[in-house]
Amino acid sequence: MNLPALPLSRRRFLRSSGLATAAAAAPLILPSGLRGQNAPSRKITVGIVGSGNIADSHYGALLGDENVRILGVCDVDRERRDEGAERVNKAYGNKDCRAYADFRELNRRTDIDTVFVCTPDHWHALVAIDAMRNGKDVYIEKPMTLTIEEGRAVVAAARKHNRVAQHGTQHRSMKRFHDVAEYVRNGGLGKLHRIECFIPPNNRHCGATWKTEAVPEGLDWDMWLGPAPWRPYSSLGCHYNFRFISDAAYGQVTNWGAHYLDIGQWAMDADAGGPVSVEGRGEFPSSGLFTNATKVDFTVRYANGVPMHCRTRYEGGGTSRFVGERGWLDIARNKMSASNPDLLREMQAPGKKIQLELSNNHHDNFFACVRSRGKPIADVEIGHRTTTVCNLGQIAMVLGRPLKWDPVKEEFVGDDMANRLRGRAMRSPWSLA
Amino acid sequence: MAEKKRPAPTTAERPPRSSADRKSNAGNTPEPWEMCARLEYGGDRSFAWSVREQVIDSGPEDRARIEDQLLKALALPGCTDAGRAFLCQMLALVASVKSVPALAALLKDGKSADEARYAVQQIAGPEAAAALRDALGSLSGAPKAGVIGSIAHRRDTTARAVLAGIRENPSEAPVVREAAARALAHLS
Repeated sequence: MNLPALPLSRRRFLRSSGLATAAAAAPLILPSGLRGQNAPSRKITVGIVGSGNIADSHYGALLGDENVRILGVCDVDRERRDEGAERVNKAYGNKDCRAYADFRELNRRTDIDTVFVCTPDHWHALVAIDAMRNGKDVYIEKPMTLTIEEGRAVVAAARKHNRVAQHGTQHRSMKRFHDVAEYVRNGGLGKLHRIECFIPPNNRHCGATWKTEAVPEGLDWDMWLGPAPWRPYSSLGCHYNFRFISDAAYGQVTNWGAHYLDIGQWAMDADAGGPVSVEGRGEFPSSGLFTNATKVDFTVRYANGVPMHCRTRYEGGGTSRFVGERGWLDIARNKMSASNPDLLREMQAPGKKIQLELSNNHHDNFFACVRSRGKPIADVEIGHRTTTVCNLGQIAMVLGRPLKWDPVKEEFVGDDMANRLRGRAMRSPWSLA
Repeated sequence: MAEKKRPAPTTAERPPRSSADRKSNAGNTPEPWEMCARLEYGGDRSFAWSVREQVIDSGPEDRARIEDQLLKALALPGCTDAGRAFLCQMLALVASVKSVPALAALLKDGKSADEARYAVQQIAGPEAAAALRDALGSLSGAPKAGVIGSIAHRRDTTARAVLAGIRENPSEAPVVREAAARALAHLS
């Protein structure tokens, strides 16, 4: 699996899928002789498991990378997997990319180096662990896992099988988020008072009842459910909307929270630990198919007393805001602001005493580590710890009482019910074992 | 990665801001425990919500009564599939060794073994471990593989010999033999 080093400067990430398609069709970038198992080993081969909304974001970048070759696409929805494979084959100008209905078949291909886990959240752990068992390096979309127990199992698998495993929290590879974490770590804001993370509204109201429907032709509903509790099919609770149902995900707490809380963890130097307490109040629908909080409000607190709040914001989108004695910095994907412009200038200035690893591209960082066997910028331990913060918030909102958390033992202190919520039995035949 | 932009929710789509917390919009059902046994997929679950609140809010001193209520509802004739799943998910939060006999019976039936495992997997102690091992003799196929997974999850090393026998038994389904092999690797 060790791949020869390749200068990163040769990579050409073409962001738009249109550009990627056009460029990939050009012989200069993809010589016609590159075919399937005969492809030069310098190209990193990729399988994509889950070909829906989030995978759509990866196709463009991957197809535009001349050092990467997608060989397989898997989805339990025939329409989606066929569309994905067709998109890849059209871009490459051949028929080499195969479509799979079962991720295990893709994971067992010996000519695939890496697997991108882009399924709904309840599948992340099982797909990633199976891929790593089969010698693949993995890029796991956020949140890394559905439960805390699953997260620890993914980290254990990565270490056991010596795999490179990147969590898809790409804010770690965006300079402004790097800069703010580094600035806070260096005491740029003076004493840090609090971190505020705002996440978008959670879900749409879907009514107190819902209709079961016939499973569409081409969708393997049993496989879509996988380890989640069985329920009959409803189009309302399948693609995209799965995130609003706690059997499969924890709504925007894990969807966007994984991004913005992650930067708080980075700034708090908590990548190998986490907060020591949590409390929260959420508004949950009392009936209907959707079960996750429609309004999120929780606070974790670190051992040094600094709190990190996470709240739903109905206007303005997501952001990570750091408030200290010298003022505040508010960093979002597309904008940043501060209580004083000097803070922004200082934040972006080089030469700080504590320097955090800098990555300018999350894919690039992952593939570089696949070659070097180094740890990626959002290694799974980091991903697990951030996803755990999301889980702590979810559990605190569900229980509606303050909880103490031991980040070393990864257990709640003195609350058996909370500890039971760290994991759950999986529907058969699935298991973390 | 960046997700496709979703349109901002309309006023009608937004949750009511007047509801202050998770208790505020719960249903007001006279006998929610019994109603839970009649829960249907897609149907109104507000009564289940009120039961869920009672389970979650129960202090350690009240858990035994809550557990009794859940077991009583689970034993009602005509308990639906959705009702059984819900009640077992609630038992997963509070069940003690007292629940093991009722859950052990469900474990031995392939139609209810998964739901029973939601609760049994969370119960500490040898009684729950024994119930899982005992169920192996009554199950086949995927439900049996699921029970093997729960045994592995609980790190029940006393099951090694049984699991080794399953792994080597050619009459077992491949999914079961594979589950046994993985469980043994997990327990090693």
